[in-house]
Amino acid sequence: MSMAAVTRTRIFPLALGIGALAAAILAAEVLIRVGVINRFIVPLPSQIVPAFERVIVEEDIVERFRLTFFEAFTAGAMITVVGVSLGFLLFRINILRQATETWVAALASAPTVLMYPLFLVIFGRSAWTIIMMGFVAGLPPVILKTIEGLAGTRRVLINVGKSFKLTGPQLFTKILFPAALPTIFVGIRLGLIFTLINVVGVEFLINFGGLGQLINDLAERYDLPGTYAAICFVILVSVCFFVLTERVERWLRPVD
Amino acid sequence: MAEAGRLNLPAAPKAGTMIGAEPVTVVRAAIIVFILLFWEAIAQSGLLYRDVVPSLLAIGTAIVKVLTGPVIKCSAEFGIGPFFGFGPYEFKWEIIEPELYCHLGRTAFEVGIGLLVGGLSGLLIGLVLGGNRVLSKSFEPYLYYLGPTPKIIFFPVMIMWFGVGPGSKIAMGAISCFFPIALSTAAGMRQIDKVLIRVGHSFRANAWQMATKIYLPAMRHPTINGVRLGLGVAIIGTLLAETKLSNRGVGFLIIQAYSLFDMPRMYAMLIVLFVVAIGANALVGRLGGLSAIRQR
Amino acid sequence: MASVATLPKSGAAGAQAAADAGILVVDEIVKQFDTPEGPLIAVDRVSLSVRPGEFLAVIGPSGCGKSTLFNIIGGLLDGYQGAVTVGGETVRGPHPAIGMVFQEESTFPWRTLIENVAFPLEIAGMSRKDRFVKAKKFIALVGLSGFENRYPAELSGGMRQRVAIARTLASEPKILLMDEPFASLDEQTRLLLGDKVLQIQQDLKQTTLLITHNITEAVQLADRILVMTYRPGRVKRMVEIDLPRPRSSDVVSSEAFGRYVAQIWSDLREEATRGMQDEESRTLQAGDAS
Repeated sequence: MSMAAVTRTRIFPLALGIGALAAAILAAEVLIRVGVINRFIVPLPSQIVPAFERVIVEEDIVERFRLTFFEAFTAGAMITVVGVSLGFLLFRINILRQATETWVAALASAPTVLMYPLFLVIFGRSAWTIIMMGFVAGLPPVILKTIEGLAGTRRVLINVGKSFKLTGPQLFTKILFPAALPTIFVGIRLGLIFTLINVVGVEFLINFGGLGQLINDLAERYDLPGTYAAICFVILVSVCFFVLTERVERWLRPVD
Repeated sequence: MAEAGRLNLPAAPKAGTMIGAEPVTVVRAAIIVFILLFWEAIAQSGLLYRDVVPSLLAIGTAIVKVLTGPVIKCSAEFGIGPFFGFGPYEFKWEIIEPELYCHLGRTAFEVGIGLLVGGLSGLLIGLVLGGNRVLSKSFEPYLYYLGPTPKIIFFPVMIMWFGVGPGSKIAMGAISCFFPIALSTAAGMRQIDKVLIRVGHSFRANAWQMATKIYLPAMRHPTINGVRLGLGVAIIGTLLAETKLSNRGVGFLIIQAYSLFDMPRMYAMLIVLFVVAIGANALVGRLGGLSAIRQR
Repeated sequence: MASVATLPKSGAAGAQAAADAGILVVDEIVKQFDTPEGPLIAVDRVSLSVRPGEFLAVIGPSGCGKSTLFNIIGGLLDGYQGAVTVGGETVRGPHPAIGMVFQEESTFPWRTLIENVAFPLEIAGMSRKDRFVKAKKFIALVGLSGFENRYPAELSGGMRQRVAIARTLASEPKILLMDEPFASLDEQTRLLLGDKVLQIQQDLKQTTLLITHNITEAVQLADRILVMTYRPGRVKRMVEIDLPRPRSSDVVSSEAFGRYVAQIWSDLREEATRGMQDEESRTLQAGDAS
């Protein structure tokens, strides 16, 4: 096979990506051993790997994982219920939507997570601070996408419903809502991602909770390999969560 | 030709025009007034700790105090590095002004440099990945899946690499904005209408002409949106880092107010912060929108 | 009345014949693509020669390799056997003497009309003042004077194609190469634009090679028509169009016009039918396989 044909195979990009990463890790190992990179700032990759096992065993990773998961799940459930409801409300009451939609959009990009000291005061150093921060962060996308989904139903579909003399509630349950569902799920997925990011982030910031707090802990103990290992672990969890939500969304939306 | 045949009928009177305002504005004003009244009611009722919900007057006073703040000599003499054997680099300047603006300036500086570093590298990587199928399939997944992770967890590592000064905050801002800018630039490259590239080739434009006269103009929309998003997350990343470990900057002021349990001041700081952040976002959006109208 | 023109031979004799017979010589082009289903010959030993000032149309059914030929002549495709020469020079990459007009929307949406038309002059390094003056002339030529500062989004599809044509003409190519430029327009616009193109071609004495699938368009505009077979694309017949010049769209109502169209359709129908049957059998096979 020619070079060009090789690059077009399915396996080549995967191999290139993984290979490059492996090469980078190897290069880091060598550079640190040789002394070009300070080993008190970047630990040896060969030290980080055993730290994985140590962290998992010694730091009660299962319990921490459960706590983070509980916080994220609760916040996720809240944004779904409240977000879709508010989205529906705004869709129905047009004047309210016109008045507040831009506010919600602004809120989505505003640094809401910086209110965490405020939430600390209100809810104390507890899981509820974290859950509420996750809730606030994940809510705007759900509301916006719900509105978008409901409002974006193609005119012709509604006309089909009217031509069959469907009543208002019927029109909603049989046409509007099913048509809006894919977009609503996109919103929920976005919201869940924001929620998870903020849950772990606030855990780190207030030094309470599950995985986020673990990193903080290890960093304050100057356990370098452990800190790096914990960060890698959290990245892994986040990636898995992201992939899972993608799969679920694709399963719910087979036509696309 | 594009606007032929628009009927000019007088607008029907709408509710609210009697007050002389559009209904949307009326509703917005009503909502704000309602929220403020509700707030004040809770503040006065004493349902929560007295200071968790301070009265509007207290917050208002605090805002004024913060804006006119204790006047200090704002001197910036910070160093960046050493990292990986380079630096430290020193910067020095002095000005007399209210405290808030000193810290605001510091945060703005950190966000600005972070956006510059993260944005330029994101743009570069995005251009490379967007232009080459194989590279894109190999490396873009990394960006895509690393994007939605909480970057703040990298902060301890950033402190080790760049020290406790502004370097680590700039690094946080840079990491935060790198991903969305790289991804939207790569996507922007791919959505360029292929025929425009062929037009360029058919007129034998060289690589530089292709890049400046065809690629960049053709993807200005996704790129500007990416930069807007990047600005938002750079602000968040930098500020969070400041709340965690800093003695300068708006993030520091917020956490300082918290630790002193000066709630009206903390509310004031948060309000100022939100106004500035949303304003900056709107500004970038306006700039992007303006250029789009001019060039369509 | 149809006659088959003598096609030039390759080699030195061919080069001499080229200098006499035409300024664009396509010599025994063979182009093969590697597809997942195996090698596919898109163009099989196609030769043609365009005389100076002539309007040559290449017509064929979908899938006959017309666009491949277009890209090869324009220098945007390589990896073929045979040669394309312009005024004796071999074409290797886009040649300055060849100007291309594409089938799809190709105006730059972020530039005004005049900036679009001035684009090739900008690439060539002309100063802003000079190139705008020159661009204005070509804008007038396609009948869009007064729209210089409008954006493509403000114009209709037909106007945008005129902009694309003006832009290519601004580079003053010896040969104008067009790939179904009117495919996305409605019939009436097409006929009127055809008039415009005829007028321009007569004014400028522009040598033109037009790729199309539209028979009436080809007969309306061309001096000679090359009919291609379905895949693999070969030369089926070369038809001389002896309709009087100068022409306008009125010619479509003449008897001779009708005869030419009927003649070409009888050739084309065979190929088009083959093409459709081929498509259908492939769709059936794909359906069976899944």
